[in-house]
Amino acid sequence: MTASTLAASKHLTPDAPARSNRRSNREGFRINWWLTALMLAASLTVLLPLYFTVAMALKSPDQIGTGTGLAWPNPMNWDNFAAAYVATNFPRAFMSTAFVTVLSVLGSLASSSLVAYAIARNWNHRFFRGSFVYLLSAMFIPFPVIILPLIKQTALLGLDNPAGVVFLHVLGGISFNTLLYIAFVRSIPVELEESARMDGATTWQVFRKIIFPLLAPMNATVGIFAFLGSWNDFLLPQMLIADPALQTLPVVQMLFQGEFNTNYSLAFASYLMAMAPTLVVYILAQRWVLSGVMRGAVK
Amino acid sequence: MNAALPASLLSRRSLLRTAGLAGAALMVPLSGCGAPPAAQNGVTTLRFMQNKPEVVDHFNEVIKDFEALNPDIRVVQDFNEGNFVPGLVRNDPPDVVTRGFAQATADFVKKGIFADLSDMPVAKTIDPKMQELVNSWGQYNGTETSALPFSLAAAGVIYNRDIFEAQGVSVPTTWDGFVAACEKFKAAGIAPIYGTYKDPWTLAQGMFDYAAGGALDVGEFFTKLNAKGAKITKDAPESFANSFGPALPKMLQLASFSQNGAASKNYADGNAAFAKGQAAMYLQGPWALSQLVAANKNIRLGSFPLPVTNNPEDTKARVNVDMALSITRNTPNMAAAQRFVNYLLEPSVVNTYNEKNAAFSPLTDAPAVSNPQISGLNAAVQEARYFQGAVTYFPPSVPVNNYIQSFVYSKNGEQFLAALDDEWRRVAERTAV
Repeated sequence: MTASTLAASKHLTPDAPARSNRRSNREGFRINWWLTALMLAASLTVLLPLYFTVAMALKSPDQIGTGTGLAWPNPMNWDNFAAAYVATNFPRAFMSTAFVTVLSVLGSLASSSLVAYAIARNWNHRFFRGSFVYLLSAMFIPFPVIILPLIKQTALLGLDNPAGVVFLHVLGGISFNTLLYIAFVRSIPVELEESARMDGATTWQVFRKIIFPLLAPMNATVGIFAFLGSWNDFLLPQMLIADPALQTLPVVQMLFQGEFNTNYSLAFASYLMAMAPTLVVYILAQRWVLSGVMRGAVK
Repeated sequence: MNAALPASLLSRRSLLRTAGLAGAALMVPLSGCGAPPAAQNGVTTLRFMQNKPEVVDHFNEVIKDFEALNPDIRVVQDFNEGNFVPGLVRNDPPDVVTRGFAQATADFVKKGIFADLSDMPVAKTIDPKMQELVNSWGQYNGTETSALPFSLAAAGVIYNRDIFEAQGVSVPTTWDGFVAACEKFKAAGIAPIYGTYKDPWTLAQGMFDYAAGGALDVGEFFTKLNAKGAKITKDAPESFANSFGPALPKMLQLASFSQNGAASKNYADGNAAFAKGQAAMYLQGPWALSQLVAANKNIRLGSFPLPVTNNPEDTKARVNVDMALSITRNTPNMAAAQRFVNYLLEPSVVNTYNEKNAAFSPLTDAPAVSNPQISGLNAAVQEARYFQGAVTYFPPSVPVNNYIQSFVYSKNGEQFLAALDDEWRRVAERTAV
């Protein structure tokens, strides 16, 4: 609820002070009720499923089948979290998922920004233009088509473990992330680099000290895409990681879904625990996500 | 830019070199730890892939007991069945596997993925009729035993004992008796059967399989159909059109006894509603029992095989080999794997598992099931009056469940069976060698 009103008021306030000089004060603070109502309705699409998740996680099995499902469970069954924690061996699965995610994010940021910088600044070379098209063409290959060969190759390289998942996440993200970065690097004036070179900076120093810091909004965008994609990925870890002890959270959570039986309360308790880091990261980073997306889009 | 070219070229080269070195450094230690050596300090590590996530805890206990008796073997359990095919691709599949036994598993058997277990002494303790359920899917080289049944799920009609007693209805043993019972419930304002048509598989394993299994010999029908292969037409005596006809009116009659609005209910709805006593009977297998009890721990349930003819001797239960034990052919730990399979099939282990999970033990001298929820199916299982569901014989490329669903709505049996014949021929043509 608060998020939506915040968003609605944000939309209205920026130009309000400027206008208020000429128009009446009352008009400047007028609330656009239609827009607010729309935002309220839109926020329900997020809040309602979230409510169900929380309510479900607190229900005992016999509370699940009763009523419409909207009712808040009474008494609340906090034991679900403990049971899900033990059943999934949460700390171990969490560490494995965190390992995959952190390295994927760092790897995506480092590799894609370097590639994008190289391509954008060498656009006059046919080789670099070609390599850009080559990287982009990877986006047209559906992932399930190549999964079995990938499994074979990673096994031969000894990468049938979370490190292999990191490697493929970074690799798989390069085409899209490079696309985002290149658009952004082009908007950075070359003069900035030239002045650095006058002072004797090498290409690496130019990239490290000038370009990379200027890429910050795009880094946030790419980092968040990489984080979400990596944290929530199911298929790749499921197929690739051979040792069940190293399996990631989304796969371990399959524990609660049998062919004919689903343990809804434990499943949702476990989903909530797995969602927590994503929520925290989003709340902390949403400022940069939005600004980053818009910058990339306009320039 | 041009002035800086030599410098940038140099750094690009050094960059590539650094990247290459870093890549190589990353690979070397990883390839070392890729596949842990199976035997470490004389302890053999077995990987055990098991197909039912809901019994992970039970098997953890079983494994603990096994390891206490066999300190030289460590067993790692994995319930991520999606990793089985990748394991084969890696040429590093789990050592011991349990799988539900039907079409998909039979494909692995035909390709020789599993080792021959016929020489193992425990193979002799298995009821030959249950072993035949596994073997009927095809044997590698014509003689091998690729899997030993571990758990047999028998499905019939789940009924609410309280409603039956309140209405003075006893368990029907003939089709006419069954119809009379349904009419009685209907007259009393109780839905006779809870239908969950929104999930097509419930129609397939329920009314379709039960009616078909009662009306014809399903196993024999598919053997003949497979022999005919791509030459099947709807006029042939082996066709669906000429064999399944008698089952369809009974199916529609079963459908007519479902509650109003069955079309919009799915399996989870059905479990919740049936647990609350909203119908007298439920065409589901034992897998639903734990869900029903979870939703209402006071519910008193029973099961009986659906009589489809008026001869009680004909009444059969629908069974499926819910778990069958296999050892992968190329396992480097064959001896340890066999010891584990031997242990799992010890009467105390296998009978306990099945008693706890409302299933039937495959051992010849297994005690009669005492669980009142499924004891009604005892006689049928002991006398081998059972069949494997007709839908389990279909290859996944035939959307048989959806055809069944559309038949229940349209009631056009001729079109339904003709479609099955067409689909079967289409797949047979495509897969013929």
